[in-house]
Amino acid sequence: MKFLEIIHVNETQVIDSLTEFIIRHKTREDEFDALALQIFDYQFNNNLPYQRFCRQRETTPKTVQSWKSIPAVPINAYKSLTLSCCRSEDVKRTFMTSGTTGDGLRGKCHHPTLSVYDSSMITAFKARFMPDLKTIRMGILFPTENQMPNSSLAHYLALAYSNFGSDGSQYLLTTEGVCLEKLFAELERAEKNLEPYALLGASYSFVHLIDQMEKSNQTIQLPKGSRILDTGGFKGQSRELDLDDFYERLSERFSVPRASCVNMYGMTELSTQFYDNGNQICPSKKSGPHWIRSQVVNPVTGIPMPKGERGILVHCDLAHFNCVATIQTEDIGIEVDNGFLLLGRAEGAEAKGCSMAVAEFLKIAQG
Amino acid sequence: MTLNLGYFQGIESSAIEWKTLSFDRGKGAIEVAVPVLSETQLKSLCTRVKDMSQTYLKTIPVSDLVNIIDTAISSFLDRTNPYRQQAEDLLPRITGYDPEMIRLGLTSYLKTFRKVELNRFLSEDFSNPKILDEFQPLPKGGLGRAYGPDLLFHIWAGNVPGLPIWSLVSGLLVKAGNVGKVSSAEPLMASLFSKLLSEIDPKLGECIAIVWWEGGQNKWEEVLLNHADLVLAYGNNDTLRQIRDRTPITTRCLTYGHKISFGMISRSALDTGKSWTTAHQAAYDIVRYDQQGCYSPQIFFVEEGGAVSPEQFAQFLARELENFENKFPRRSLTIEEASSVASWRQSEELKAFSEEKRSFIVDPNGGWSVSYSETAEEIYPSGLNRTIQVFAVKSLHEVPSMVKPYKALLQTVGIAASPEELIQLASQLGAIGVTRISALEHMTTPEAGWHHDGRFNLLDLVTVTEVERTAETAAEAFSDYVD
Amino acid sequence: MKFNEQIVLVTGSSRGIGAAIAKAFAAEGATVIINYLKNSAAAIDTAEKCNKLGGSAKIIQADVSSGEQIQILIDEILQDFSKIDILVNNAFKPYIFDSENRKQFHETSWNDYQEQLDGVLFSSYTLCQAILPIFKKRTKGNIINIASDLVARPTIPYHDYMTAKAALIGFSRNLAMEVGQFGIRVNCVAPGLVYPTDGSMNTKEGLKEMIINQTPLRRIAAPEDVAGPVLFLASSWSGFITGQTLYIDGGMVMR
Repeated sequence: MKFLEIIHVNETQVIDSLTEFIIRHKTREDEFDALALQIFDYQFNNNLPYQRFCRQRETTPKTVQSWKSIPAVPINAYKSLTLSCCRSEDVKRTFMTSGTTGDGLRGKCHHPTLSVYDSSMITAFKARFMPDLKTIRMGILFPTENQMPNSSLAHYLALAYSNFGSDGSQYLLTTEGVCLEKLFAELERAEKNLEPYALLGASYSFVHLIDQMEKSNQTIQLPKGSRILDTGGFKGQSRELDLDDFYERLSERFSVPRASCVNMYGMTELSTQFYDNGNQICPSKKSGPHWIRSQVVNPVTGIPMPKGERGILVHCDLAHFNCVATIQTEDIGIEVDNGFLLLGRAEGAEAKGCSMAVAEFLKIAQG
Repeated sequence: MTLNLGYFQGIESSAIEWKTLSFDRGKGAIEVAVPVLSETQLKSLCTRVKDMSQTYLKTIPVSDLVNIIDTAISSFLDRTNPYRQQAEDLLPRITGYDPEMIRLGLTSYLKTFRKVELNRFLSEDFSNPKILDEFQPLPKGGLGRAYGPDLLFHIWAGNVPGLPIWSLVSGLLVKAGNVGKVSSAEPLMASLFSKLLSEIDPKLGECIAIVWWEGGQNKWEEVLLNHADLVLAYGNNDTLRQIRDRTPITTRCLTYGHKISFGMISRSALDTGKSWTTAHQAAYDIVRYDQQGCYSPQIFFVEEGGAVSPEQFAQFLARELENFENKFPRRSLTIEEASSVASWRQSEELKAFSEEKRSFIVDPNGGWSVSYSETAEEIYPSGLNRTIQVFAVKSLHEVPSMVKPYKALLQTVGIAASPEELIQLASQLGAIGVTRISALEHMTTPEAGWHHDGRFNLLDLVTVTEVERTAETAAEAFSDYVD
Repeated sequence: MKFNEQIVLVTGSSRGIGAAIAKAFAAEGATVIINYLKNSAAAIDTAEKCNKLGGSAKIIQADVSSGEQIQILIDEILQDFSKIDILVNNAFKPYIFDSENRKQFHETSWNDYQEQLDGVLFSSYTLCQAILPIFKKRTKGNIINIASDLVARPTIPYHDYMTAKAALIGFSRNLAMEVGQFGIRVNCVAPGLVYPTDGSMNTKEGLKEMIINQTPLRRIAAPEDVAGPVLFLASSWSGFITGQTLYIDGGMVMR
């Protein structure tokens, strides 16, 4: 069998292979597999904590036959381990998670180059959010990259802005929140000129905005072709919302059809993003480009759940070449044809009996 | 046909709203209906139970009560009895626990409430149990009589089968009227037991009611908290705090919260002959009810220096957990429970490969995991559902100081050690708040009269009315026959 | 593919019974480590056949009579695969089976016995010592030793060799007894005359006829006949069998 004879590659070769793979229009399953296994070998040999993790799982590049068997590192591992193939002096940029979980620790992803990340973002964004237009006038409801240099979302939006934002596109967030003056000036301008407009930002920013607009009974009639992109959960920042309710109100306030209200599902620990085709129905079906694959698994055994059953989402993102390509998230999902449904976070379970479980223990120990 | 659970007298079934609870824990889906009484109905039920407890229960001798309960328990121990069969059939489907485990667990647990054992409960707390029937001489002089509450409100939680029976029996022994709210996770046993009791003695049946409502602070809980003389609540700290806060200041509220229990294994139990048996017994306590009981071990401290090393012991334990997967497979987990186990497992795995002196053994089918560390660590819960931590220690005497900061959370310690070691450890452990020391394999099968969390099952429930010596002496002067 | 994703070490598997066993595992999806002493060409050939059959193979040269080389062998396997699932102790010091010119008892020195004990038992002993910690860490493992049916019925008494093989069976049983509680199984297979192998190339026709006459299944074993039972003992089908010796001789011995 060929897999025992593995050719080890270096970083340049990985980046070249990825760059070439991403720009192809279509790729086959076996091609994805081959590249995934090559990147796994690269990460196994260059990311020592990951190697140890794989050995603990009794897995090496010589025992894995398909991308589905590549050991998925739990997302929390980024908080306590340095998972990087390149040397620290070669790190170009570091993205960090927000640190909103109980322990306050922040996961770090180091990138020796952003060329693959950028290529991944731009290619998929074009296909999923801008299939019909080259550029669009954009408003960004998020801080700039300079303001948040460690935020992958800030970089993502910066890429959207610089690659797809036509003249006049603006950042609309100040330290006090959304600059409503500027925002409504832009929106009213688009309304008048019948020029398609795009609003992109964090979901919680939209929640605040809609609340505001409902209070002052404002609506905007954005012209045909306008679109909205929201991302990141609502947790910790503003009140939780029923998804249906959120998109209904969003669509109402801006007169953008729900089909053009796109949600982007991404995370610091990946270099590729998932999109839906609008939110007429919630939860919407999410899917990614051909260089990322997902599985829905049993969180304890890692064995895939039967299609249609709830499980934990595991993503194999080839573009995430410097850290670990395969990650086990804490997100619950269901596999559907050509994608998956995102159903929320896996909260720890309270003990069903009277034995003390971790969550309660921590409350007592910290309180 | 959906089975109606709960139990009460004096209200027509059709006059009540029934809520359907669905269970699908991998042993066959099932639906049961639990009664949701209106506030008015609940209030009249409280009054009824109180009255009956005053006019009936308080008038019969406690030995009669023992006989009635014993008769009910004998029926429940009889495997041909329809109630027993219903329990054996439905409990696995409701809780997901293995049917064999349930069958053996029920028999072992119910034996704790036979006549001889009930008398143990009584004599453990009362040097003269007749004090429950009539005024008896008190050691200090004068007379006393113990009165149970007219209305004892039980709030049960969790899914360990039959746990409500312990407090229900305690309530009956002190002649209390009982209204119990069952947990959504196990609404069956208290209902069946009460029905069985009422068939044996209908009037006794009128002194009990088993009800249900949606968890959380609400109007039904208000009604009971305001009508009860005594509240007995089980649950997590948040739940217990809000129950206690909402109980009127004049009503006592007894709370039983979640606990951590652990095991200690001396090198004297680790020779080449006995060590496997020790591992087997330890594993039994882990698998019984999948570590959901307050008495279930979450950690084992193992002493170095025996013929079998702590690491080997951890390996034996892993094998025994694997063998138990055959005998009593673990119940299937909800996605939330599985995520808890996965997250514990992940953090232990991460520790195992960043630190030299650790290892992690896991069932590839996800049924159990053992995390071993050469250096004992801070006490911390395991992921439950058959996940266990094994720590090596140079001497078991190191352990009490290690666990001391968690005094409020400790309960049972299972010990495998020589008689001398047992006594030494017992006094160290007692000093730091451990309330129960048992043998391995018996951590999860407490004996009759066990002082749950160090408290008194019956004594805590009663108030004693005393007639002082001075009253007695003074009365002498007013008798017919005074000289 | 019963042995998919399993790592199987077969000592002395460049040719003969060892090679047959290696190929049989490979046909069931296993990754087989083909250990050999001298004949690298044969080892490569066997490895290629394994690859073609649907499994995969890696060849590692090591003298299993050397404790050091055994440790290097095990370390190399772990480096590549991070685990070992099954150990088949097939390599032994070659013995000349000459029914017509064998050493009779009065000609067999104690040293002869000692040499065979070293030759047969020492490598099994050393391999087991090296591999057991690895099996114990994962509380799972499988060891299969190659004995001989001549232990039960010495048709031709090869005193020194067969005494050592008998010791191997006793060794296996005691080991099985102790390591069972770690989830590790230890079993033996006991073939009779197997043809063709290095040891049986010169067996006289007359002897073969005599054996066939006493064999219910009326033929001599081929190397492939030994492979099947080894795979059975290595698989979960025999998950509740340990400490046993499976006689593979067409029914000549019935135990």
